[in-house]
Amino acid sequence: MPKVEPIVGRYVEVKVAGAACRIFFEEAGQGMPLLCLHTAGADSRQWRHVLNDAEITRRFRVIAFDLPYHGRSTPPDRWWLSKYTLTTKLYLEIIRAFWKTLELERPVVMGCSMGGAIALKVAADYQEELTGIVGLESTAYAPGRYNDFLHHPAIHGGEFVASYTAGLNAPSSPEVAKRENWWVYSQGGPGVYAGDVHYYSFDWDAREDITRIDTRKCKVSLLTGEYDYSCTPAMTEAVAAAIPGCRMTFMKGMGHFPMVENYPVFRPFLLPELAYMAG
Amino acid sequence: MAWMEGYRDRVNADPEMAVIGGWFTAALSFTFGEQRYVVRVERGRIADINAAPRIDARATFGFRAPMAVWDRFVSPNPPALYHDFFAMLMRVPEFVLEGDGLAAMQNARALQRMMNLMRG
Repeated sequence: MPKVEPIVGRYVEVKVAGAACRIFFEEAGQGMPLLCLHTAGADSRQWRHVLNDAEITRRFRVIAFDLPYHGRSTPPDRWWLSKYTLTTKLYLEIIRAFWKTLELERPVVMGCSMGGAIALKVAADYQEELTGIVGLESTAYAPGRYNDFLHHPAIHGGEFVASYTAGLNAPSSPEVAKRENWWVYSQGGPGVYAGDVHYYSFDWDAREDITRIDTRKCKVSLLTGEYDYSCTPAMTEAVAAAIPGCRMTFMKGMGHFPMVENYPVFRPFLLPELAYMAG
Repeated sequence: MAWMEGYRDRVNADPEMAVIGGWFTAALSFTFGEQRYVVRVERGRIADINAAPRIDARATFGFRAPMAVWDRFVSPNPPALYHDFFAMLMRVPEFVLEGDGLAAMQNARALQRMMNLMRG
């Protein structure tokens, strides 16, 4: 018997800032929508273990999409006439447009890294319309990741970005999983990781926004790995301290990419939070 | 010096360096506390270790840190923030990249592998 996975990939047209974008998404399961946001410079492949987890997909419709410029989503028309730079406003607009286009009702939004960060803003601005958020490696403020070598004519961007992010994994995570993440990163378009990290390093500051989150309306679960040096556990603790009623889990022996780098270890941390969301 | 020679042997026997090191040719300085070495890398292999570099020992780039920082980095189970050279460059101020950062980052993939091989 061939090992065919239950994940189905499709394309949908989404209007973002007045422009039509062809967005790729993959999904599996039925039930409460669980909208998954990939990390900077990556794509929806990072969520393959969650999408393939039958215990999750029997309760959740898991959906992961590629941001424009990422993975199999095309950039908007005339992309060659502007430098790709993500902003908090644009990122929020893309997520919102995608979820409204697919008519997702009271989704749980789960994101990692910059996706975990923007999930906080999604919760702050749309808490009446959400079930909750699961923030992986979430921080409200994250200066320091940008540098000019991320997009430089004398440096192989794919190899550099993949290596630059490789150390964000925990050393004890399985080599094959860490290398898979390296491979995904190496395939990002020129300047795309730089454009994402530009947002994350310079535009992103939700330290005031998160104080508006009411966990009685929108549940909040935060999970951060011990070896994450971009969003350290202390940075997530600062977020948790600002959101009364929020749940925070410290993941010992985990790095910045829990759903990719070590799913068997991540899973026991994740399932209780998804049960909390569904409960 | 014995540790450096063992390190050289690990790098030169590493099958991954043989795949990714072909373009990695540079002179690296490693400063462990007060002890400085200049290591000549040719096509991903350590060709020479200079344990007493003089004024005429040129280095393209290198790393400098107190011994306590290196000890954490090379330990078999390194603590968080000391587990990767990029992590230390971001979070450990005593760990310093010296010299030509462009040359270092052009070789980031092989350099990262070579640094991780310090954890013998």
